[in-house]
Amino acid sequence: MSEDQDKFIADVVEKALQGDMDAINNIEDRVTRSKAKAALVKAKREAKAAATEDTSKSEESKTEESAPVVKSLSEKVAACLNEKFPNSLESEDVNGYIQMKDKNWFEIAQYLRYNLDFLFDSLQCVTGYDFGENEDLEVRYNLHSMTHNHAIEIRIKTDRNNPKVPSVEQVWRIGDWFERETYDMYGIEFEGHSNMTRILCPEDWAGWPLRKDYETQESYHGIVVPKVKDGWE
Amino acid sequence: MGVVHGDLMTLNIGPQHPSTHGVLRLKVKTDGEIISEVEPIIGYLHRCFEKHCENVSYEQVIPYTDRCDYIAAMNNNFGYAVTVEELMEIKVPERVEYIRVIVAELNRIASHLLALGAYGLDVGAFTPFLYMFRDRERILDLFETLCGARLLYNYIWVGGVSHDLPPGFIDAVYSFLDYFEPKIEEYNELLTYNKIFIERTGDVGVMPPEVAVSYGVTGPNLRGSGVKWDIRKNEPYSIYDKFDFDIPVGAGKMGTVGDCWDRYYVRMVEMKESVKITRQALKGIPTGDVHQALPKKIRPPQGSIYKRTESPRGDLAYYIVSDGSPIPYRLKMRSPAFTALSVLGEISQGWMMSDVLVILGSLDIVLGEIDR
Repeated sequence: MSEDQDKFIADVVEKALQGDMDAINNIEDRVTRSKAKAALVKAKREAKAAATEDTSKSEESKTEESAPVVKSLSEKVAACLNEKFPNSLESEDVNGYIQMKDKNWFEIAQYLRYNLDFLFDSLQCVTGYDFGENEDLEVRYNLHSMTHNHAIEIRIKTDRNNPKVPSVEQVWRIGDWFERETYDMYGIEFEGHSNMTRILCPEDWAGWPLRKDYETQESYHGIVVPKVKDGWE
Repeated sequence: MGVVHGDLMTLNIGPQHPSTHGVLRLKVKTDGEIISEVEPIIGYLHRCFEKHCENVSYEQVIPYTDRCDYIAAMNNNFGYAVTVEELMEIKVPERVEYIRVIVAELNRIASHLLALGAYGLDVGAFTPFLYMFRDRERILDLFETLCGARLLYNYIWVGGVSHDLPPGFIDAVYSFLDYFEPKIEEYNELLTYNKIFIERTGDVGVMPPEVAVSYGVTGPNLRGSGVKWDIRKNEPYSIYDKFDFDIPVGAGKMGTVGDCWDRYYVRMVEMKESVKITRQALKGIPTGDVHQALPKKIRPPQGSIYKRTESPRGDLAYYIVSDGSPIPYRLKMRSPAFTALSVLGEISQGWMMSDVLVILGSLDIVLGEIDR
């Protein structure tokens, strides 16, 4: 029975892929119908993945043949930085963001801010990030240019036990508060910041709340902090 | 004769003060009546929004976003829903897009009404506040018929909205808009062109555009400084590219470009634009099922996204990192009021003590969103 059914489903999926959706919609048994639909979605997804692979392959072959390629902005910035500041990139692969070392970050930030090709005059967001217990921390910067209307993301990893990243407070003024917030939540110190103090939590709060291994203090100024239960009811 | 520096006096405004729009403390250093330093101290309303988000599922985050900017909760829902949808590549039905734009623009009007009314209160004009609250109440009533809540809606969901429009809603919105549009002139007569109001706000607290951009100030505050920048136009999300509307910018009509009056007036004109958008959306709204695209389980694929939307206060952005589970791995909210408050210290230097609250009011901050 089930073999028959599999064969039947394969059949209708084949038909549906050719554009005949009625073949599926006319199945009377609900269970079979939903199975067929699921199989169709899967088949479509596979077809799509194969198609994109094909196009990427053909694009690759094209790049080998003809030299001028339209690069994404991140790639352009990465190439430029590699030239100007050798050894500043963690990896040359650009995948929607630029992974950078913390060395020279202040100079690079100044370069990105004032270089006429990029003019990233607005620091949109600074996000702290924790890869998990005993792993590294990361700071992510979203830069945006009001003049050119383009944006990039820059990521800088830092060691969990001694997290330090150069401050860009002097490049973008909003860096001041964004960095204080990141310090408050992750304990990442921004070197060269004029006022590296907590901003949202009280000054004498213990621990870094958004780290994945954070444990709430037992009491705060004599007030017992209630234990958080695991999971939600 | 050199400049004589007297002793500086430190003065605390807040945390509990009617003019601070929430629980905010300003540490002000004054030289006589002149301000030499203002340091905003925030965090009194910190409710661990981001930590909460790492412990609840994607759909449970939406009520928390309501409570961040409680004046414009629809816009917060909207931004979050748009971000998660882009991460999951969900296409929502046309009707849902129109409903979202209608409620978001109505909420923008309500938010601006509160901002302008409270601003009048800040400078000592009591009556406009009552007029504006009377009209804001009508919008809240509309929302109440829509989803049962007056301030914290949980209305815009990922992939749709919680309820379809109730019968008669569209007519009710039309009649509200017909009622509301002439009222803007009334506010102008009452407050905008009032001589005392202009004396208090014109040429006060000037924010040059470079300073605004460097401090990440966005929204009406940035436009008040003469920068024509609006996410709805420059980076359209949802269906904002279908509508025809203008972006009002400050022109220094009552003083210098970027003064308090400009920031105030940009909001006033923006309400007119919102009315325009709402009318177009009401006209074009198609029929359809609003629950059609709601996903059964929200499980975005691995990856991260940074997406900005235009809330009444400026660029509201969410940075979401998904690890493929039904719970966000990391969710960061970039709040427009946070950046707007950070500029206060810079632009209020050198003004009189009584101007600090005028400048603060013109920035239209919501502490719930700053502290999160």
